[in-house]
Amino acid sequence: MIEVKDISKRYGDGTVALGGVSFSIDKKITSIIGKNGAGKTTLLRILSTQLAPSSGTALINSHDLIKNADEIRKIIVSVPQEAKPIQYISASDFVRMYLSARGFGISEAKAAAEKALRKVGLWEFRDKLTAELSGGMKRKVFVATALASDADVIFLDEPTTGLDPFSRIEIWHAIKALRGQVILTTHYMEEAQALSDDVIMMDRGKILSKGSVNELLKGFDGLVRVEGRKRRKMAYKVGDVYVSYVDRRKAAKFINEGEIIRPIMLDDLFIKRGVNLES
Amino acid sequence: MNLRYVAGYAWFAGVHSVKENYPYLIAHLALPLSLIFIVGVLSHGALLPFALAGGTVMAIASDGAGTAQELTYLRLEYMYQDFIVATKTGPIDYMLGEIFAGLPWVTPSIILYFALDAVYGMLTLYNLVMTLIVSVLLVVSVSSLAFLLSSRMKHARLIGPYSLIFSYAMTVLPPTFYPFNYLPRWLVTTLAVFPTTPAAVLEQGFFGLEPTAWYMLGILALEALVYFAMARSFTRWREK
Repeated sequence: MIEVKDISKRYGDGTVALGGVSFSIDKKITSIIGKNGAGKTTLLRILSTQLAPSSGTALINSHDLIKNADEIRKIIVSVPQEAKPIQYISASDFVRMYLSARGFGISEAKAAAEKALRKVGLWEFRDKLTAELSGGMKRKVFVATALASDADVIFLDEPTTGLDPFSRIEIWHAIKALRGQVILTTHYMEEAQALSDDVIMMDRGKILSKGSVNELLKGFDGLVRVEGRKRRKMAYKVGDVYVSYVDRRKAAKFINEGEIIRPIMLDDLFIKRGVNLES
Repeated sequence: MNLRYVAGYAWFAGVHSVKENYPYLIAHLALPLSLIFIVGVLSHGALLPFALAGGTVMAIASDGAGTAQELTYLRLEYMYQDFIVATKTGPIDYMLGEIFAGLPWVTPSIILYFALDAVYGMLTLYNLVMTLIVSVLLVVSVSSLAFLLSSRMKHARLIGPYSLIFSYAMTVLPPTFYPFNYLPRWLVTTLAVFPTTPAAVLEQGFFGLEPTAWYMLGILALEALVYFAMARSFTRWREK
């Protein structure tokens, strides 16, 4: 259980990355979504004790973020955005090295690393230098470290950015196999929808909404999204394109007009709230 | 202190990775051996004993520059420091891990210098033991400075020029391969801010090339303490 209490972050140059956010997380997998600069990474770094907040605190499994950071570090794993395994050591050694940082003994680390590498499908590549692994495999090495550590809370910052669709699906399955509570950031809406029990929407350092995918998309029941250059009534402008929401049964005629029809996704919530994800 | 991390990192990033990255062993030897060669040729062999006495000092200092690069890349390119911050491992464990992981790379150089010292009839049990003591103090001070330097880098590319400056300031300016009394006293005192200066002056004394300036051992020990304390206090570990 994570309880965030009025956390804010102002950097030295005056930039406000988080403007006092409060919420609680009690589901197995929670995604934090939002456009670049929304404050997702800042929030995740604060919760994983990598960055000090300017004000506020959080309770992670009852441990206070400010007063008991050392206790929190014993129960969490945090994989930073764009983290890469050290390229001149093998996948197996990297996992074992990380486990040593968590205080695992030699044989304990060896057994846990083997189990985790098997589970994420990296066992046959265990002795390869991580430099020789594909992008997806490198990310899987980090998921293996999280799996092997058996942490209670796992923070993953953009775990699948830059990966091909097949690698992403593999990573999703690996994430689902984690025992602990997972909090991840992503700007892939389909990823949030596929993985999450709960979704937190952020924009400009604030929480816009929080809830399950079904709860959040309730207002879109029976609708589809129509995208095109033609401006319609009640359309939202996204870049050069107009987006409108129409009854699914009437959607066919828009295809004939050269427009694109898409099912409703989480990004439609941002569009309806006037947050341009591409800006 | 998380000794398991120190041992684990030293084993996996040091001992275990040497076999995959052996060209670095040669690279570690390149600068000190080149300087020995140049000094030997230019002085017609007269200054060779000084260069040999200072060889271990140069090898350790070169390794320190490599440590600064390594730590910068681990922090900014691999995000490894951030990854480790969120564990019970602290900055000193992290630094000690890096120091011990560096030993397998620098040890062959040190062994080679001892071998050359033996070939030239300079090696005794006394200077072997004293060199090892000086080496420990030097590794601590140089690595602490490297850690401090790396933690101040905002972009990974910046460490390139800074580590070069670090390397030259540590190896070429101090009297690591020529008699320290070639320099005016005020300059030796000024250069003593680089731990390689007291180390090199001491080595020249231990090898019987100059009178032993014992007060330099105090300076080196003090620098090891001060630079270590500075690394502990001023290194950016968890971001504010």
